[in-house]
Amino acid sequence: MFTKDKMVTLIFFIPSLVFVAYFVYVSIGWNVVVSLSNWEGLTPSYKIVGFAQYANLLGDPVFLTSLTNNLILILLFVPGALFLGLFLAILLDLKVRAEGVFRSIYLLPFSLSFVITATLWAWMYNPSIGVINTLLKTIGLGFLKSGWITDANIALYCVILAVIWQFSGYTMLIFLAGIKSIPESQIMAAEVDGASGFNLYRRVIIPQLTSSALSAFVVLMVFALKVFDFIYVLTGGGPGYSTYVLPLMMFRDTFSMNLFSYGAAIATLLFLLVLVIVVPYLYISSRRGKE
Amino acid sequence: MRFPKLGRVSLYVLLVFLVFVFLLPLWTMITTSFKTVQDVIYTIPLEPPLSPTIEPLISSLNIMERPLLNSLTFTVAATILSCLLGSVNGYILTKIRFRGSDMIFLLFSIGIFIPYQSVLVPLVLTMSRLGLYNSIGGLILTHTAYGVPITTLLFRNFYGLIPDSLIMAAKTDGAGTWTIYRLVVLPLSLLPFVVAAVFQFTSIWNDFLFGVTLARGSEAMPASVALANLKGTTEVNWNVQMAGTLWYAVPVLIIYVVLGKYLIRGYMTGAIKG
Repeated sequence: MFTKDKMVTLIFFIPSLVFVAYFVYVSIGWNVVVSLSNWEGLTPSYKIVGFAQYANLLGDPVFLTSLTNNLILILLFVPGALFLGLFLAILLDLKVRAEGVFRSIYLLPFSLSFVITATLWAWMYNPSIGVINTLLKTIGLGFLKSGWITDANIALYCVILAVIWQFSGYTMLIFLAGIKSIPESQIMAAEVDGASGFNLYRRVIIPQLTSSALSAFVVLMVFALKVFDFIYVLTGGGPGYSTYVLPLMMFRDTFSMNLFSYGAAIATLLFLLVLVIVVPYLYISSRRGKE
Repeated sequence: MRFPKLGRVSLYVLLVFLVFVFLLPLWTMITTSFKTVQDVIYTIPLEPPLSPTIEPLISSLNIMERPLLNSLTFTVAATILSCLLGSVNGYILTKIRFRGSDMIFLLFSIGIFIPYQSVLVPLVLTMSRLGLYNSIGGLILTHTAYGVPITTLLFRNFYGLIPDSLIMAAKTDGAGTWTIYRLVVLPLSLLPFVVAAVFQFTSIWNDFLFGVTLARGSEAMPASVALANLKGTTEVNWNVQMAGTLWYAVPVLIIYVVLGKYLIRGYMTGAIKG
């Protein structure tokens, strides 16, 4: 099937094939097997007990809280980062001087490690001497001071605000590229027809950003499900379980409590949730690539 | 678009206000890193220090030095390895092609998005069995393996732009596929190598999950884990924490300033790790 000449090159493909086959697919399969077992404690046990772990999850209030928190992230963080990014992109599209400088500044947080941004926001939200409360007091708005991440009622929203801060530069970048790819002639034609300002964006530009919005949407959705480092470092899931999410619960149950099969069941669910979002997207974009 | 003059002024006021919002956390990181414990309490975080000191930078470096060197070692190694593999894969998937190569690419692409939680338990078992748990080698292997899907995507997109006629011409001259890769494709690959290397370096440097799972509390501990531990210790003062954060941020900040446009090209390829 292959000539000897091609075989020589394909040999170099083998390490990558092995890596992806083993570290992605075999490992996911292995994880599913663990999730069907009764492995607790440090010694692996593969006695298959079926879907018992999954059934236990449904009755676990921590699981329901974590799942709800992931859903709240999806409902608030995803549109929040999309709209703020679109807003920034439109502002920078208004023939701004030093556009590149503004763009680089808004994108900067996105390039930083979540461990860094989480540490910075811990300092921002610190109730006693942190940045936000000190600033509020200084400008005479001391009555707005709050416990922020130490207040179970609002901690999750503090997390969401901070990740919107970190991701909106990314969505801005995607939308800016989308706007730049619209042919100048179309915009001029619309201006001749009398569209200007707000109307130009609403009727001509924004409707053409659906494919940009789709790719940003997928990245944000996947993040809203996978979010771990940021919450682990900023709140550790607390106060109480108020900022618990599925990836954090998986990590704690598996590596702190040694509930390996239980953690594996959470991980499998998480994988399936991400798959539901990613597979249709990859299918659509590969179809689009072929056209 | 034309705007009345007042509109222009308020546009810039808004843009500058947003700059303030986006940079505020980073600005207070820098100011606080140079403050004494007294200054942290008695000055507003926005203000520069009254009596600047490098004490926090020194004491945080004492804690972070080894982890920073660990991170640098496995990040550089895994960046190089994953870029080399990605380049060969990109060439094979665009210029050799074979039955099933589209399917293989799709399977690779899914590897970009998977939540790593879903492979964490098998990964720990694998690394223990290989004797690579709690080791730099284990982190290099892990970051290389999980970096391959994204570097393959990056190189595949770039190599798709190399005209097939160029490959055909070399073939007619009698060059084999491996020779074509070395003498035709590789010399055209400076840009994708820079983009992929910058992207991989920042992703691997920024990683926390693999580090905390495979190398916590050990000689191989990455800087991200050391910083998270520093934050977890309540006795550590904010100035030391911020200084530690600054140390860990510096390599990525330098890359962002010097090579930011390549990093942006990586982001534009549509895939983000994390």
